[in-house]
Amino acid sequence: MFKSKRINTFTVSTICIFLTLFQYSCKTNNPLKRITVASSGKINSIDPARANTLKALQLISSLGDTLYELDNNGELIPKLASKMPVISKDKLKISISLKTNILFHDGTSFDSKAMKFTIERFQRIGTNNYILDKKIKSIETPNKSTLIINLNKPTSSLEGLLTSVNLTAISPSFYKNHYDTFLNNDFAGTGEYVLKSFSNEVQILDPNLNYWDLKPKNQGINFIGYSNSSSLYGALKSKQIDVLLSNSIDDTQRKDLNFLSRKKQIKEGISNPTEVSFITLRTNIEPLNKKEIRLAISKTINREEISKNVSYGLRDPSKSIVPQIFKGDNLVSWPKYSPKEAIKILKEEGFCDGKTLNLPLTYRSNVPTDKLIALYWKKDVQAYMEDCLSISINGVESTTIYKNLSEGLYTAVILDWTGSYSDPEAYLFPLLSCNKLDKHICNQGESVYSGSFWGSEKIEKLFLEGQNSYGNERLKILLNIERLASEEIPYIPIWVSSQKAWSQKNISKPVFNGAGRLLMGDLEIINE
Amino acid sequence: MSKNYNKLIKYTFFKLSLIPLSLLIISSLVFILLRVAPGDPVDAILGSGANDIAREALRTKLGLNESILSQYFNYLEKLIHFDLGKSLSNQEPVINIIRNSLPASLELGFISIIIAILIGLPIGYLGLKNKNKKADYISRIFGISTYAIPPFWGAMMAQLIFSVILKIFPIGGRFPIYQQSTNITGFIIFDSIFKNNFLALQGALYHIALPSLTLGFLLSGIFSRSFRLNLEKSYSSQYVDAAICRGIDNRNILLNYAIPNALLPILTISGVTLASLAGGALLIEVTFSWPGIALRLQEAITQRDYNLVQGIVLVTSFLIVSLNLLVDILIAFFDPRIEY
Repeated sequence: MFKSKRINTFTVSTICIFLTLFQYSCKTNNPLKRITVASSGKINSIDPARANTLKALQLISSLGDTLYELDNNGELIPKLASKMPVISKDKLKISISLKTNILFHDGTSFDSKAMKFTIERFQRIGTNNYILDKKIKSIETPNKSTLIINLNKPTSSLEGLLTSVNLTAISPSFYKNHYDTFLNNDFAGTGEYVLKSFSNEVQILDPNLNYWDLKPKNQGINFIGYSNSSSLYGALKSKQIDVLLSNSIDDTQRKDLNFLSRKKQIKEGISNPTEVSFITLRTNIEPLNKKEIRLAISKTINREEISKNVSYGLRDPSKSIVPQIFKGDNLVSWPKYSPKEAIKILKEEGFCDGKTLNLPLTYRSNVPTDKLIALYWKKDVQAYMEDCLSISINGVESTTIYKNLSEGLYTAVILDWTGSYSDPEAYLFPLLSCNKLDKHICNQGESVYSGSFWGSEKIEKLFLEGQNSYGNERLKILLNIERLASEEIPYIPIWVSSQKAWSQKNISKPVFNGAGRLLMGDLEIINE
Repeated sequence: MSKNYNKLIKYTFFKLSLIPLSLLIISSLVFILLRVAPGDPVDAILGSGANDIAREALRTKLGLNESILSQYFNYLEKLIHFDLGKSLSNQEPVINIIRNSLPASLELGFISIIIAILIGLPIGYLGLKNKNKKADYISRIFGISTYAIPPFWGAMMAQLIFSVILKIFPIGGRFPIYQQSTNITGFIIFDSIFKNNFLALQGALYHIALPSLTLGFLLSGIFSRSFRLNLEKSYSSQYVDAAICRGIDNRNILLNYAIPNALLPILTISGVTLASLAGGALLIEVTFSWPGIALRLQEAITQRDYNLVQGIVLVTSFLIVSLNLLVDILIAFFDPRIEY
């Protein structure tokens, strides 16, 4: 009797605990009608001078505004600026008119001095301040609504730089104690949302009631981070989140989400392509110092099949190292897949018939798609390249690869690149520019850091010309740079990737701006 | 008895005096291993795009341009003053990061062990009670299989079944995003009770339920096996035989003779397990996005955040050494046969 009474008490207690939990789980359905957006990882800092992860930049772009922004067509549009910048005849002075009557979240006014403070602070402590690269000589503020940027040398990419989230306007009074240090967990900008609370995993945003432009269509955003893609995927499927925004979600899960969106069970939003994946070939060693060998190797990569087999066709094969959107009617095309031609070239170079060219290919072991690309390429080469070419693959953790790239440790390595700002130059310059050239071998400069060690005097001249040109003329020069590179093949482009977001049925379809940032203010509950 | 206590106190002081030396060896090893490993924080922060000037500037800013020896002595000097430095990735004091994440791991570890004991001991007892019967075999299979399940797989299955399919528990996190957490000590359950915040308590329990049940379930096997074996050993000992001869009833023998002796090894296992969980249950924390110390350590290693890795390893080592010492003292206290 005693025993059964104890068992009964235990059973009743257990049932009570579970009932409480069930009751709680039913209650957690978004009481404030906020929209929960989930992404992978955590945010270490929301200081625009410090932020360099996609997630942090996404959050900052919702909390603040830049001088200019890219629209969906990739066109520059004024944001905090009132019109397009005016460039002096000697191209050393850029005048920017600013909008007036804009308030920061702390109630102070946005003006030219605030913008000067923002840029100078970024120059001083910004983690990525190298993107300004001593381009700016000084900044003048003749009046509250005019900002004059004096340049050390003519540069045409500054307009693009001014769209960089790292230069999001911040309130000087709010950051007065943080001129030389980062403010990681608080923010006062001019954006459509105000930061209500911040932790590394959860950030809560309230609509900015004093916002100068269109107000958000929702009552606030809960921006949360999960540490793995399975959790993100599971959270969307079990409707614990409203929107899933992540580039790092597994491709099998992307495929499934894409399938669900085609069945209209969820909605899928896609940004313009912003990230390019490619193989870097180390051009300062034999046999890759020979253009013909590089050409042959580049003709063995079947982009369409890799896209289909590795990303289920969800990433666009690319024959360019610059995402298409920034280039309009770009006709540059890097070598096409043709194993027959590759065999022919390799035979001419003395390979095949018993002499196999062995290419060691390194991939980032912590990037699942890189390994699949490497495996697929290896298999394809085994199948179609007879005994002319063989690929041996080796996985190395990404940070180690970045460290050793400029040491020239990798003959061929799979990498990707997202420009620091929305401009073709932000893709071409880091991959192709060189400071110290010996014929086509770069001994110092950006292409050393990207591991190709390839450079060209012609390209350097064109970069200089590009700095002094604007509009279509500049675009032509940049296209020419890529065309020259495509003939020399220091890289093999694979595909371009877009930011993707998925929302529940009762939430509007996610929309991105031209720089690949989710427009959180456009998210709304449409079916209550 | 007093002689024993004296010995115990001597032993405790001896062990305590070894802690600084252990920590010095651990911290030096971590310091060296981090520097020997390829890649550095600059590469992790700037990626592959930055030029040499930017890299050098950041390296200087982070103090990584100095010689390793000079960095080491600076590190030791700070350590003597209990300064763990600042995180290289966001310049936040390391101690703040540890203070924010350690309670999460300890809370999860402590509750998981309680669950493991609550599941493991009755199953071990039932197994022995029905020796060589169906229940015994089930108990043995349970013990071995829970121990053999890879934690990440078990966690993912639990997440899939209870969060995605049945939608009973949240998929991850430590606290509902709709509520403000009550943060005094960092132990949310304790803080909620302390502040009489029932809603916060409910939210915290709701979030810790699945990770702790999963971890508790996975750990319960070792408790069930160990308890069964030790209880069996106790039952076959002479003091139980003597008790039976004295006519003491079975319930009393179980509660007063067999279980207390069988629980001593359980105390050791609990201490060792809790000590190992003080460093966080990495795979559980990663799967359930639990913001504990192990998750922080994993992120810090990926970012090559030297100061943060050193700080976390040092603090968790201190906890592990201290908990092990505490277990030794407790065992000596409860078991008069133990001599030091």
